[in-house]
Parts: sequence; C-alpha cells; structure tokens
Amino acid sequence: MTSTHQIFDISKFKVSCGNCSLAELCLPWGLKLEDINELEKIIKRVRPLQRGDYLFHSGDKFQQVYAVRSGAIKAYRTTEEGNEQILGFYLPGELLGLDAIDTERHVCTTVALETSSFCAVPFNRLEELCQQIPGLQHQIYRLMSRELSSENQSLLLLGKKSAEEKIATFLVNLSSRLHVLGYSATEFRLPMSRQEIGNYLGLTVETVSRIFSRLQKDKLIVIDRKLIKIVNEPLIRSMCTGIKESSAKSQTAAGSQ
Amino acid sequence: MINSLIFNKDLITRYDTLGPRYTSYPTAVQFDESFGHDNFVEIARVTNEEPVPRQLSLYFHLPFCSTVCYYCACNKIVTKNRAHAAPYLKLLHEEITMQSNLFDHDRVVEQLHWGGGTPTFISHDQMRDLMAHTRSCFSLRDDDSGEYSIELDPREANAKTIALLHSLGFNRISLGVQDFDPDVQKAVNRIQTIEETLTVIKAARKHAFKSVHIDLIYGLPKQTVESFARTLQKIIDLGPDRISVFNYAHLPRRFKVQKQINKSDLPGASEKLNILQHVINYLTQEGYTYIGMDHFARPDDELAIAQKQGTLTRNFQGYSTHANCDIIGMGISAISKVGDCYSQNVYEIDDYEKALAAGRVPIFRGLKLDGDDLLRRDVITQLICHFSLDFEQIEARHRINFNDYFYNEISILKGMERDGLLSIDTEKIKVSPAGCLLVRNICAVFDKYLRQAQAEQTFSKTI
Repeated sequence: MTSTHQIFDISKFKVSCGNCSLAELCLPWGLKLEDINELEKIIKRVRPLQRGDYLFHSGDKFQQVYAVRSGAIKAYRTTEEGNEQILGFYLPGELLGLDAIDTERHVCTTVALETSSFCAVPFNRLEELCQQIPGLQHQIYRLMSRELSSENQSLLLLGKKSAEEKIATFLVNLSSRLHVLGYSATEFRLPMSRQEIGNYLGLTVETVSRIFSRLQKDKLIVIDRKLIKIVNEPLIRSMCTGIKESSAKSQTAAGSQ
Repeated sequence: MINSLIFNKDLITRYDTLGPRYTSYPTAVQFDESFGHDNFVEIARVTNEEPVPRQLSLYFHLPFCSTVCYYCACNKIVTKNRAHAAPYLKLLHEEITMQSNLFDHDRVVEQLHWGGGTPTFISHDQMRDLMAHTRSCFSLRDDDSGEYSIELDPREANAKTIALLHSLGFNRISLGVQDFDPDVQKAVNRIQTIEETLTVIKAARKHAFKSVHIDLIYGLPKQTVESFARTLQKIIDLGPDRISVFNYAHLPRRFKVQKQINKSDLPGASEKLNILQHVINYLTQEGYTYIGMDHFARPDDELAIAQKQGTLTRNFQGYSTHANCDIIGMGISAISKVGDCYSQNVYEIDDYEKALAAGRVPIFRGLKLDGDDLLRRDVITQLICHFSLDFEQIEARHRINFNDYFYNEISILKGMERDGLLSIDTEKIKVSPAGCLLVRNICAVFDKYLRQAQAEQTFSKTI
C-alpha cells in the first residue's frame, strides 16, 4: 500500500490488520506481509455497537464473518418456548458467524454486552482469497477447529460438572482468554450479568450467586460488584476437573491444538 | 482504634467551621438535576447483574409531626390532623411497589429504617399495612437477624406501640430526647417526661430489642454545663446502648422554625464547648466508646464491634454496620445510594404524586460517582470511621500512588500535623486523640468540591 500522501489517515490505520494487536488471534496469523495487505483490502469496518444493539439475527442471510475488535458479545438462540438460550460469549480476536457457512443463514442472534467494535469480512471474497493464499485457508481451518473444540468444551462443561466446577471453569476460561489479549488474568470485570452466566451454564441465578459467594468465602476470589479478582489461581484451576484444556480456545494462536 | 480522646479547646476554637458531616461524599449539594428516572433504572439493573448483588437497605421517610420542635432542620410536615397521613401513605405504597420491581427479589433486606418526621405519627393499622406491603414487595428477614430500626418520639409511643413494632419485625429503636431540662424543653417546644422515655425503653428491653439509641442535642437555648450534666446523668440511668449528641446549629434563615428560638438564650461558643467537653468526659468515664463525630456506644454494641473489626461505614443515618448494602430511600426527600450513584427524591408531596402517577421514580437529582469521587469517598469514610488511613490499601483498591495523587492535600495535612491533629508519614495518616473531634476538618481536606468552592470564594473576595 504505497501512498504519496503525507497525511496520517487514522481510519486506514484502524482497519489495518498489520497494525492490529489482535492479529495473532485473528485471520492474519501466520500470513506474509503481502498476504495481509490483500486481506486488508476486503475487510470492512462496521459501525460500533452500543450495549443491547444487535450484530445479526438468527435467520439473517449469511454474507460475512465478523471479528470482534473490542467489547464483548453474546450469542443466543431462542427456543420454541420463546426462551433465550445463550450459546457463548465472544471477546476481541474471536470470530462470529462461522456456524452459518452451511445453511447460509445465521443460526444464532448476537448482541453487544457493552460498546463493541468489529471488522466484517465478506465470505465470498474470503473464499476467493483463500484460493490465492494457502496460509489464510489454513488459518480459517484452525479458527473453525477452535470453534468446534470450544463447542466440545461447552458440552463437557454442561454435562459433567457440578455447579461449583462450572463456575470455576467459566472463570478460568475467561481469565485465560483475557490473558491472551494482554489483560490481567487475575483481575477482570465480568461483561455479562449473573443471569446470563446462569443461562449459559444451566444454573439458576440464585445458584450462580451462591457459588460466587462461596468462592469468595473460601478466599479463592474477591468480588467487588462486577470486578473479579482471582486470589488463589492454583486452587480454582484444580476445581476445573475433567477438562484440563479448558483454556484451549484462547490458546489457539500459540498452537495448542 | 482510638478509644482515647483529648478535648483541646484552643484547637477546636481555631478549627471551628460549619462543614459537611459526610453522611455522603460527594455531599448532596453536588447532586445534579440531570440525573433522573432512566439513570436510576439503569443503575438498579446494573446492580442486579452483579455476580453477588448487594443486599438491600430500605429507608422510609415518614415526614409528619404533630408538634414542631424549634431546633428542627429535618424535612417534615407539622399537622395535628392525622388524616393527612393516609394519602401520603398511599403514594408511599406505590413507590414501594415501583422500587421493588427494579430490584431482584433474591436480594435480602438486611437493613430497614423508618425515619422522619415522627414515624409513630401514623396509626397502628397504618404501620401494619406499611410493613405488610413492604414484606409483600421485598424479601425481608423474618428471623430477627435483619437490622430493622425506627425513630421514636416517646411522647407518641407507649408499651403497646413497642409491642406492635416488635411484632412487625423491628429490633432497634432510636429515641429523640434532646434534653430533659424543663426550661430547655420549653424553649424548644418539646415537653417530654423521663417517665414517657423510660416506659418506651422498658418495653423495648422486654421485647429484646437489640439496640436502644438516644439522641441528644447540645447548644440548645437555656442549656448550661450543669443543666446538661443533669440530663446526661438521667440518660445514663436509662442505660441506652448508643448515644448521639448533636451540635445545634442556629440557622434561622435556612430553617425558618428556628426563628422561634431566642438567640440570646443560646449558650455562647465557649459554654457550648464546655458542654461538649463534659459530655465526652462523662460518657467515656461511664464506659461508653467514642465512635466518632457525635456518636457514643457501649463497647458491646454492634457499632463499637464493627469499628473494632474495621467494617464500620457511614450513611445518611450516621454510622452504620453494613458497608455493602445498596440503599433505597423511599418517601419525600429520601436519598438512595445504589451502585456508584446517589439520588434524592422530590421534597414536595405534590411533585411526589405527579412523578408516581407518571410511572417515574420520584427523584429530582442525583449523581454518578466517577473514579476520583469513589477514591475520595473511600478515603473520607476510612478517616471518619476509623481515624486512620493506610495508603497501601487505598492504592491497591484505586490503582493510584497516594503520595503523588494527594500531593496538595498532604501539604495541608502537614500543617494539621504541626497543630497536633494527626500524624502523617509516607504510609499512613493517624488522627491524634486531639484531632478526633476535628475529623470533619481532616476529611474536608479531601473534599474536592468544598475546596473548589472555597477557592472560588477566595477568588471573588480578592478581586
């Protein structure tokens, strides 16, 4: 991207994959500089969302995948009874919409939990580009594999664990994902509500609060409103029995899969 | 913890200013009218979403009084006509319903308080209805483990009232006495016998109320050291768990009813301080612990215990044992503290009615605290409750360097150190026994808004 302009173009800077701090988690991982430049050409910036704004709805035509740049997103489906079932929470560097490739329609609804921004990648252009850049193709496989693996983790989480193990695993998972983003692994603000945590983990709201209280009483964590401080990390990790690789989702970039 | 307290008259005279009492920081003066219904609903939602939402503290303002006490600076409605209570209570019930819809019902009500005015102005049936409605809307404790208190006027209560209040779930009472001296009582239009007070206290003891609190005021007309000493002696005989001795501030321009007080009857500044000195000496000699500001408590009272354990806090009723509640204030002029926000209800019943009819939370002003406010509130609360401040704890909680952040404040505190109010080094502030009575002045150093106002005043004076 040679330019004769001397004026610094902030919008170009923002969208640049090469400069993005999330590049190692996202599509550009492992690509050569000229390949990243090609990728940047097809990426579009979309309007940032405020809390409660929708990114896409279930049933919407699938046209692009989204990479979270900042904020936090929840994905859910509405059951036949009209209830919301949360499928997952998405943090920066994570991709949304890959599950719609098959049906060409989105199969879940995504909504911002806080002010969030995204990059959008038109899927047909991405497919074309993959044919030219084998490294990109491979990275997409890896990201999809990450999704599959994450789904497996969720099933294990929901099927096998006690309420206490579920919450501990949830916190350790979140901690690891934030750590990969360069944030503190031991002190973070929960972007989601206790109702949403309960919905996701299949626990009642009262149980969620009871377990958090107990973890605090046992001096594993300290809670100040939505701020969580993990004070006994070894112990809380040891509570996540069954799926030791619970942080796998976050460690894809480091090649743990 | 400090139990020793030195009364230094020179120092107190030198630092004598009318300053905030820091029942909130920032103080209500900073509340902004742009804070409204939507802000309140939003902050209630945010607190419901916390992994472990805080328990609730409910305050109910019952503004009616059948007679007027001339010293009073409370928001009240003086009327002999008891019928006035019913329409107000109807509105209060509406607010209770509205508020309860904003807060998750697994949030237990740990604290509850009826204040006034005179809460016992309303009839026994009205009391029953009010508590029953509150219970139907919120999750009240029913095992006597909550801290449920009421302000009582012994002239408006008897053993039957106490029995009723006990059956409704109250387990703490706060009695207005002010002074037993007949001349003082006459001068402030509050004639109240020792017998009335004793009857109420006896009944409270019989029903195993956990704490009996008595309010006194010094600086009232006709008061002398000797007369107040006699009152104190009678108070000690009644054996309350807590005693507050408030300073009367004569501000007839702001509080019109105070015009009824003859200024020449007021004790002079020096006499007032002598009264205060006697209060402190006498109460500590009688085994009461000085909690802070104007509060004393028996060493086994929960307030003294909370102070020992470092969990004491300050709220709109003074000192309190529950630091971690979200406070919902209901009724006219009531103040709420939910999440990082303060808000206050409208003062007039007409406005109250209009807001409720429109389905809006009846607040007219409030404030969302920013990081600096939260930090300063933490500092002020620590100082006013515990008379000492450990910088490291504050630094860990607010991610600042104390000595850098409060560079200007520290230089002012160094002046106070020279005056003997406190000691300060690079790690902590410790209020000295002589500084305890001036802890408000020490807190005021950290009050950004007060200092801004003072700077503006100085500026306009010098120009």
